[in-house]
Amino acid sequence: MIPSDHFVRYYNEVFKALEQRGIEHLKRYFDYLGELQKLELAERFRAGGLRACHDYWSRILKEENCVGRLTLTEYYFEFRMDRCPSLSKVLDNDASASAFYCDHCIGWVRPVMDAAGLYAVLCKDSPDEPRCVMRVYADPEKAREFERQPRAPKR
Amino acid sequence: MRYRETGDVHLDFHRTANGTISYLRANYGRDFLDETFRRTARDVYAAIREDLKRGNTEHLVEHWTYFFDREGGRYALERNGEEIRFVVERCPAVDYLQSRGIPIDEDFCRQTVVVNDALAEGTPFEISTEVLGGGKCVQTIRRRAEQ
Repeated sequence: MIPSDHFVRYYNEVFKALEQRGIEHLKRYFDYLGELQKLELAERFRAGGLRACHDYWSRILKEENCVGRLTLTEYYFEFRMDRCPSLSKVLDNDASASAFYCDHCIGWVRPVMDAAGLYAVLCKDSPDEPRCVMRVYADPEKAREFERQPRAPKR
Repeated sequence: MRYRETGDVHLDFHRTANGTISYLRANYGRDFLDETFRRTARDVYAAIREDLKRGNTEHLVEHWTYFFDREGGRYALERNGEEIRFVVERCPAVDYLQSRGIPIDEDFCRQTVVVNDALAEGTPFEISTEVLGGGKCVQTIRRRAEQ
């Protein structure tokens, strides 16, 4: 058994093996992860909106030992990750990190949010720093407005 | 031990592992799937392999028992001279998938079989994995017979 504690290090090896076949293979895998997560989360988020997102990531914050802050407002849910346990493990690793490691996160979140009628934006400074900010909006215009702010990557 | 996670455990990663195994086999074949496990054994678990090369099996034994304990697995550890048998009576990964009603991929246990094989490559040991079904298996470390 690869322990669940080590899954992300295995995942990182999968990313690198797929990258060697071409970046499109990695993108297709991220799409598949989105499909897998849709089964678990899309209906929950569609029915419960931003509150359901907050509830889900509250559990993840604890279970995955994240250091971060969750904020729920009238307009958005924000997950401000100060120490991502996933990237931290991949960096604390005798194997090298995939250059595209962090892409898996928005890679699965976006299809889930699209299916739930919500809009996710991820802000990430560097692939070597386990920090990021994700916001989920119910209103696409407000998501675009946040995305247009300096340092916010394209959705 | 090189990796010693503490705190909560996110068992749902076993669901993603199960889905990933299905996806990789369906789209790239079993050899590619196995290669991802071999990479994990060779590179992620390099410290365990290095210890095995030096004749030290305790790093691997501690790795097995530590993470089975963390995930609530049930097992017995049997020693007979240099032979060590890790007898799994309840695999936490299989147990989690069964508890969620998730169909278990036919190759789910290759993560154990192939990682064990690859860990032993180039070391004085062989590690056999006898998958018995229903979340039970026997993993045995023994010194290779002299050539």
